[in-house]
Amino acid sequence: MFKNRINRRNFLQQTGVWAAAAAAGTLPRLAHAARDKELNIYCWEGYNSDDVLDPFRREFGAKVRAEGLTSDPDAVNRLRAGETKVWDLINLNNPWAREMMYPEGLIKPISRERFEPMYKDMMSEFHPPYSWAMDKAGKDLLGMTQRFGPFNFVVNTNKISRAMGEDQGFNVFLDPKMKGKYGILTYDNWNIYHMCVTAGVDPFKKHSKAEVAAYAKVCKQIFNGAKLLTDDLVQMNLALINGEIDAYFTGGTYTASPARFDGAKQVRGITPKSGPMNGKGGIVWIELTSVVNNPDPSPLAEEFLAYVQRADVSKKVAFAEGTYNPVTQMGSSKVLAQFNKEELDAIQWDTLEEEMSNSTDYDINPDYAEMYDIYSAAKRERES
Amino acid sequence: MKDKAETFLELKGLTKKFGEFTAVSEVDLQIAEGEFFTLVGPSGSGKTTMIRLLVGMDLPTSGDIILKGTRLNDVPANKRPTCMVFQNLALFPHRNVGENIEFPLKIAKVAPAVRRERAMALLEQLHLPLDFYDKGVNQCSGGERQRVALARALAFDPEILFFDEPLSALDFRLRKALEKELKDIHRETGKTFVYITHSLEEAMVMSDRIGIMKDGALVQIGTPNEIYNKPINKFVAQFMGEVNTLEVEAAGDMTVRDIKGEGTFEVKSMPDQFSRGYLIVRPEVMKLGPAASGLPNIMHGKFFNDYALGSRMQYQIRSPSGDQWLVERLQDEVFDGTFGDTVALGWRPEDSILVSE
Amino acid sequence: MATGNKSSIWRINPGRLAAIPASVFLLIGFAGPLAMVIGYSFMPAHTFSLLQVPSLENYVSVVADSYYISFFWSLFLASTAVVILFLVCYPMAYGMAKIFGPWANLVTALIILPLLISENIRLFGWVLILLKNGILDGSLKYLFDVSASGLLYTVPSIVLGLVYVYLPFMLFPLVSGISMVPESLKDAASDLGASRWEIFWEVELPLSMPGIMIGGILTFILSLGSLAEAKILGGQAVVMIADDIESAFTFAQNWPKGSVLSVMLIGLSGVVVFLLFRRIDLDQIIGRR
Repeated sequence: MFKNRINRRNFLQQTGVWAAAAAAGTLPRLAHAARDKELNIYCWEGYNSDDVLDPFRREFGAKVRAEGLTSDPDAVNRLRAGETKVWDLINLNNPWAREMMYPEGLIKPISRERFEPMYKDMMSEFHPPYSWAMDKAGKDLLGMTQRFGPFNFVVNTNKISRAMGEDQGFNVFLDPKMKGKYGILTYDNWNIYHMCVTAGVDPFKKHSKAEVAAYAKVCKQIFNGAKLLTDDLVQMNLALINGEIDAYFTGGTYTASPARFDGAKQVRGITPKSGPMNGKGGIVWIELTSVVNNPDPSPLAEEFLAYVQRADVSKKVAFAEGTYNPVTQMGSSKVLAQFNKEELDAIQWDTLEEEMSNSTDYDINPDYAEMYDIYSAAKRERES
Repeated sequence: MKDKAETFLELKGLTKKFGEFTAVSEVDLQIAEGEFFTLVGPSGSGKTTMIRLLVGMDLPTSGDIILKGTRLNDVPANKRPTCMVFQNLALFPHRNVGENIEFPLKIAKVAPAVRRERAMALLEQLHLPLDFYDKGVNQCSGGERQRVALARALAFDPEILFFDEPLSALDFRLRKALEKELKDIHRETGKTFVYITHSLEEAMVMSDRIGIMKDGALVQIGTPNEIYNKPINKFVAQFMGEVNTLEVEAAGDMTVRDIKGEGTFEVKSMPDQFSRGYLIVRPEVMKLGPAASGLPNIMHGKFFNDYALGSRMQYQIRSPSGDQWLVERLQDEVFDGTFGDTVALGWRPEDSILVSE
Repeated sequence: MATGNKSSIWRINPGRLAAIPASVFLLIGFAGPLAMVIGYSFMPAHTFSLLQVPSLENYVSVVADSYYISFFWSLFLASTAVVILFLVCYPMAYGMAKIFGPWANLVTALIILPLLISENIRLFGWVLILLKNGILDGSLKYLFDVSASGLLYTVPSIVLGLVYVYLPFMLFPLVSGISMVPESLKDAASDLGASRWEIFWEVELPLSMPGIMIGGILTFILSLGSLAEAKILGGQAVVMIADDIESAFTFAQNWPKGSVLSVMLIGLSGVVVFLLFRRIDLDQIIGRR
């Protein structure tokens, strides 16, 4: 799934989606009649894995096409541009459905009667009514949660203890002794949020000039002290394991789990104990899968939402490919029983609840564009 | 100028082997200063290897190359005071005519103004317009390119100028004109020219002396007249152009007999201890029909065909054993026989050459 | 040839007819996207439609910003890579064209074979070699007790990546360029007194210039637009302009800015290529003029 990981392959995929969209746009209603056996999913990588899709295809005799997306705002922009005609399901991070897509009529509510009971089986934080899944009035249910995870920074616990990381939080990266000993995983949108947090600023609100200046200063310092930048979590984990770096800026269960699953237990996502977001220092993302307001809807959309709640499918989504993540369905003992000890250890199950309680939910940064320009300038102007 | 008889370039037992193959074998040769010497041989005779040895592009297996008393064997090509005009001319396509001519001067670090002056002088000497200086070499015609290549070699001011069949790619008329021009330039410059070609005709026009090569060895050296009139063997004689060759054996004092029984013929001279060899009669000394009557050496054959060669006519006569004989006559004394008729051919003993091999 | 039928222009010019598919393809595949990028560069920032009032706003903001740093690094790294590639490839190409004989095919195969593997994977191989405690560092420590740990994530490692990845694009044009130099011209130069070095300088180098130019331009343009080397081997020690362009189109969601940067990069490449071609007249070198 995650989080604006863009590489050449994704870029090509993206291009493919555009081509598909263009084709769909130019052939308006040719396939009108046959949509009851067709389902198009636009999602973060994971749901597009054949492990997840193939059983559904067999069971429903459906033609399922799933494309990975590469950025939340990008995906929303495409729905705005008319791709609601193409997709049936969209899987994005939590804030978008309630704040943007539903008010703009890009998605439609799902049956509260059918799906709300499923929230009761989820982990306690997600029990209904779960606010990110509801519209602003608290009336309509906008989608289903599944994967989630704290996302802050990652350390090598042989160099920096978990306790020290949690106590110091992002100040770890401002310590002069850390200069040249950490990397920056260039999931740029996340870095902007975390640089705000490092500067003592809550990222998810409108910012004053002074706050932006404080953010800009941290941007410069973090970039100038970094040993390496990469958008490849495998490379970053390797550098961490080999001692090239002691920690990396922006990461979490999502990035640490592959290394941990391979046995490198010293790689660990850390959630700060405190910070500027109403006292919290960590951020957690939650994916929400919603039904697109397709003028020619597929009846399979809700069926798929129900299908991925099943215990075995939930497990497949959690351990799809490349990265491993907890799923909200693990609140049910039936789902939890699907995971063995190694798998639970890979996703830091032991501390998950504690980390969640120290985290605030991912949200929208109203000053993103301005902050992005500051961020990219700091990256370019980095002293190396 | 020095006495021409003095040896300028001397080759002593010059040999080049490529593995088992001997390309040049024990060549001894002296060339005088100012001489126009031509090496002639068919392809594969070793003449190209020979010239590569002389200019230093190949090293001899044994033997010596001595120029003005100095042994050149170990002197690399770029240090030898000699220079060659290549078969394909090897003009530098990325340089214009002037820069091509100046190339050796540039290498010799001659000042640009002096170089230009020299290039202009050479253009003039070789009858090229001065505005050719800025012309691209690939814009020049074949003959112009020849002159540029020659000018470039002359600019080097070599002790000896070598030529590797530079005219072979040109058409007949241009070749003929340039042959003479080259000889004129030789006269004007007084340089020593060593020329190789497969065309004896070309060699005859230009050379002071000619060396005939075969299988890596020098078969005969002499003036054009000596080579023409006194070839030492059948190879040299046949190389000179079309000749009538009869295989003969000694039949008495100054008499030989054709081994196919075409007749017995008188000769004017006979090599020592001659027993078997070849009698060579050039087509232009052969008499045909009535003109042959009364000559001591007569053969008979059937009139088969005739060919117009411009200033001359050539007639082919077939012997009873199938041999082809050629007779040439000037256009004003054409033979008007009928094809298929039996005709007589004859020649004077002094017009034939008898060789042992 | 005169057919007398002037109206059927296509019939007398089959070349033009045959060029139509390629032209259409070029128009759709090359000119079209290029026009779109240029169009977007004049649209308001952070917008996604071409149907707005054009302005120079983005150009002004890009020039005012610090993008010159990325342009500098791209130009510097690309030029450095081209120079090193030339120095490395010329002797190799010379050997392949003139010396190795049948072995040249083997060398060719060995150089082409890695191209079948994705560039990113090959670069990642270098990461494993250069990494602290990686193959090189570890071996040196074990064998000679010396450390070579500071190699990765530096500017030289980016250059190494560029040289490694783009080697074939320099090498093969050089091989064909050097093969184009007739031996007889070198013999002639030598015969006219030129030393080995003078032959190289006066004859071989200028005559193999078409190959050098093609190899140089190819590797320069490729390096200028390269992304993976600076990211994977360089750890983004410096940001190259292609990275900025990618970020502008993705994370920043600012297509117009990305388009401005693209237009400027294309313009820069165009100027460099144009100047080179003007300085060095290929037709003259290969003797067409």
